[in-house]
Amino acid sequence: MGNPLLVFWRNIFGPEDDDRRARRSALRVAASSAVEASETIFLVMRRMRAPLIVLIAIFAVSVLGLTLIPGQDAEGDPYRMGFFDAFYVMSYTASTIGFGEIPYPFTYNQRMWVTISIYLAVVGWAYAIGSLLALVQDRAFRSALALQHFTRKVARLREPFLLIAGYGRAGELLGRSIDALGRRFVVLDVSSERIDDLELAPLHADVPALAADARDPGHLGVAGLDHPCCEAVVALTDDEETNLTVVMAAALLRPELPVIARASSEAMADRMRAFGHPSIVDPFDRFGDHLRLALSAPASYQLLTWLESGPGAELPERGTPPRSGRWVVCGYGRLGRELTADLRAEGIEVTVIEPDPTGPEDADIVVGEGSEPEVLEQVDLAHAVGFVAGTDNDTTNLSLVATARRVNPGLFVAARQNRPESAPLFSAMDLDARLVPTEVIAHEVYAQLSTPLLWRFIREMPARGDAWAADLVQRLSDLCGSQLQALWKVRLTSQEAPALGRWLASGQARLGDLLRNPENRDEPLHILVLLVLSGDQAVLAPDDDLVLRTGDEVLLAGWGAARRALGTTLQVDSVLEYVVSGRRVPSGWVWRKLSRTPAEAPASRPPTRTGA
Amino acid sequence: MNLEKVVFGFFVVLAATLNFGFFIGDIDDPALHNPYELFAAVVVNLIATVLKFGDRTQIGAVHLATSLVADLQLIGATLMFGYAEYVSSAGMTPSWTASVVSLSGGALLANIVSVVLLVVETVSFHRG
Repeated sequence: MGNPLLVFWRNIFGPEDDDRRARRSALRVAASSAVEASETIFLVMRRMRAPLIVLIAIFAVSVLGLTLIPGQDAEGDPYRMGFFDAFYVMSYTASTIGFGEIPYPFTYNQRMWVTISIYLAVVGWAYAIGSLLALVQDRAFRSALALQHFTRKVARLREPFLLIAGYGRAGELLGRSIDALGRRFVVLDVSSERIDDLELAPLHADVPALAADARDPGHLGVAGLDHPCCEAVVALTDDEETNLTVVMAAALLRPELPVIARASSEAMADRMRAFGHPSIVDPFDRFGDHLRLALSAPASYQLLTWLESGPGAELPERGTPPRSGRWVVCGYGRLGRELTADLRAEGIEVTVIEPDPTGPEDADIVVGEGSEPEVLEQVDLAHAVGFVAGTDNDTTNLSLVATARRVNPGLFVAARQNRPESAPLFSAMDLDARLVPTEVIAHEVYAQLSTPLLWRFIREMPARGDAWAADLVQRLSDLCGSQLQALWKVRLTSQEAPALGRWLASGQARLGDLLRNPENRDEPLHILVLLVLSGDQAVLAPDDDLVLRTGDEVLLAGWGAARRALGTTLQVDSVLEYVVSGRRVPSGWVWRKLSRTPAEAPASRPPTRTGA
Repeated sequence: MNLEKVVFGFFVVLAATLNFGFFIGDIDDPALHNPYELFAAVVVNLIATVLKFGDRTQIGAVHLATSLVADLQLIGATLMFGYAEYVSSAGMTPSWTASVVSLSGGALLANIVSVVLLVVETVSFHRG
C-alpha cells in the first residue's frame, strides 16, 4: 500500500469510512435567504426602469428628429441623414464627447434640433447614472450583494469548516487558533464593525463572514449549516437567547453536527440541553474549576492552560495559590458565586464582599463597597491569603486590587478583566491570576474542536496527579522550548498510514520503534506522544513499549519537521522498514524483486538502543 | 383599471405591430420595408424590455426572455441594414434586404409569443 498510485486509487474508490460522506443531503434552509437576495436585485432592476425608459425615449426622439430634418450636402443639395449617422452623432453628442458635424456641416435647422437634443440627453444621462450610483450606495442593495458574495464563498468551500456565530472577543481568539491549525471557518455576527475587523485580521485563510442576525435560520443556512462540509457549530454571541436559537436550529436541522454554545447560567444551559447534546461552555463555571485545579495541582493547571492556548502559545507560569488560609471575594455575581462555591468545596474559608446582595442570603456576606477601608477592616483583609476582584466593572476591579494590596501586600490577587481594552492595565498590575471570560471560552472551545483527542486528554489529565503533570510539562518544554509547537493527530488506518498495515497486524508494533528519524534511526524524532486512543481506551503519555494496533488514534506534539518525517514513515514502505528494523529496502518494485527482499512485515528484531 | 398594465400592454402590442408592419411585404424588395418603421420597432421593443425588468413571476421571466430575443434579432437586423447602406458598396440589394427582413421576422415570432403570454396572463387572471 505504499505505492502512491494505490493510495490515490484507494482514497477515491476505496470504502469511505469518513462519516462526513454519510451525512444526508443538504437541506434547503438557505433558500429563503437566497430569495431575499434576489428580491433585492429585482427591486434594483425595477427602480432602473424609469431612468432607462427616459433615456431610450430621449435617444429615439433625438435620432428620429435628425433623420427627418432636411440638411445640405457639400454642394448645397438637399440631403437627409441616415439612421446610422444620426445615431452616431447623437451618441457622441449626448455623452458630451462632440466630434463635430458629420457627414456635412449642419444647417441651422439641424443645429437647433441638436441643441435641444443635447440638453435632453444630458438630463437623461444624469438621471440614469445618478439613479445607478444611488442604487450602488443603497444599503439594501449592498447587503444583498454582500449576502450573495458570502453565499457563493460558503458554497464553494470544499474542506471541513466550522460555523462560528458571534465574532466577539472569544470568537476572534478561537478563530485565530483555528486558523493557526490550518482549518477553515465561517463567521456570522450581527455587528458589521466586527465583520470589518475580521476582514482586516491577519489570518491565513480567507474567512467568509456576514453581518447578519444568527437568530434567523436562513442566515445560518447560507453560512453553511446545510453544507456537507460543515463539521461543527459554535454559538458564542453575547446574547444567550441567540445562542439558544443557534443550538435549536442546529439540533433540528442537522442533528448529527456537534454544537458548542456559550451559556452563563445553569437555567439557560438546561434549556440548551433540551435540544440534542450540545456542549455548553460556561466561563465562570470553568474558571471556578480551573481555580480548584490550580489550588490542588498547579502543574496540571499549567499543562492544561498551555495545551488549551493553541500552537505558538508561551508556557504559562506555574502559579502557587495559597492552599490554606482565608480568601476574600469581592462581587457576588455569577463569577463570585461559582468561585465561592468552588473554594468552599476545596475546604477553604471564604468571605464575600457585595454592595448589593440579592438572592439567597449567605452566612459570610459583608455588605459594602470593597474599596472602603472600614469594609476591608471588617473582613480582616490583613489576615487573609487570597483576594478576588470579581465584579463586572474593570475600573472597580483595578481599584479593588490596588486597595487590597495596600492593606496586605502579600496577598494572592486574582482579578476579572471584562473588556479587552483594559488588558494593558491589568498586565501592569502584575496579578497572580487574571480571569478573562472570553479567553476561557475561546480556549475551552478550541480544546474541544482542535481534535477530540486533545479534549479527552485534558479531561483525563487531572486524574494523573500533579507530579505526573510536572514531569510532562518538563518533557514538553524540553522538546518545544517555551512556545508550544504543532499538536496533531494521526489515525493508524489504511487511509492515513498506508505503510503500516502489516506491521500493525503483526502485533509487535512498538510505539518507540515508529518514532525514529527516517534519516538515521538511532536518533529519536522530536515528538512527544500525548495520548493513544485504542478503541475506547485512552493511554496518556504512553511509553515506548506500548503496542499499537490498527485503528488507533495518536495525539502528538512536536516540531513541524518531525511531523513531516513521521508522515514519510507512515506513507512509504521502505522508510518504515528501515525505521523499524534498520534494513534498507529498495523502494521500487523492480529492485525489490531483483534483490529478493519483499517488503513484508518487518522482522521484529529489537533495534539497537543508543543513548538518544 | 391598472395604468401600469395599460402601459405594459400598449408597449408589448405596439412592439409586435410595428415589427409586423416592417416585416410584411416582399422579402427582397427594399421599397416595401421602411427604415423608420424598423427604427420605431427597435425603440418600442427596448422600452418593452425595460418595462419587463424586475418581475419575479415565472411568466414575467418568460416575458423578459422573449423581449430579449426580439431585441437581439431587431438589433441584428439594424446592424445588417447599416452595413448594407454605409459599408458595402452595393447598397440594399435584394439579398441584403431579405436578410434584414428575415431577421425581423424572427423578432416578430418572439413578439407574437410575448403577445400570447400577455393574453394568457390576462385570461388566467380573470379566471383566477
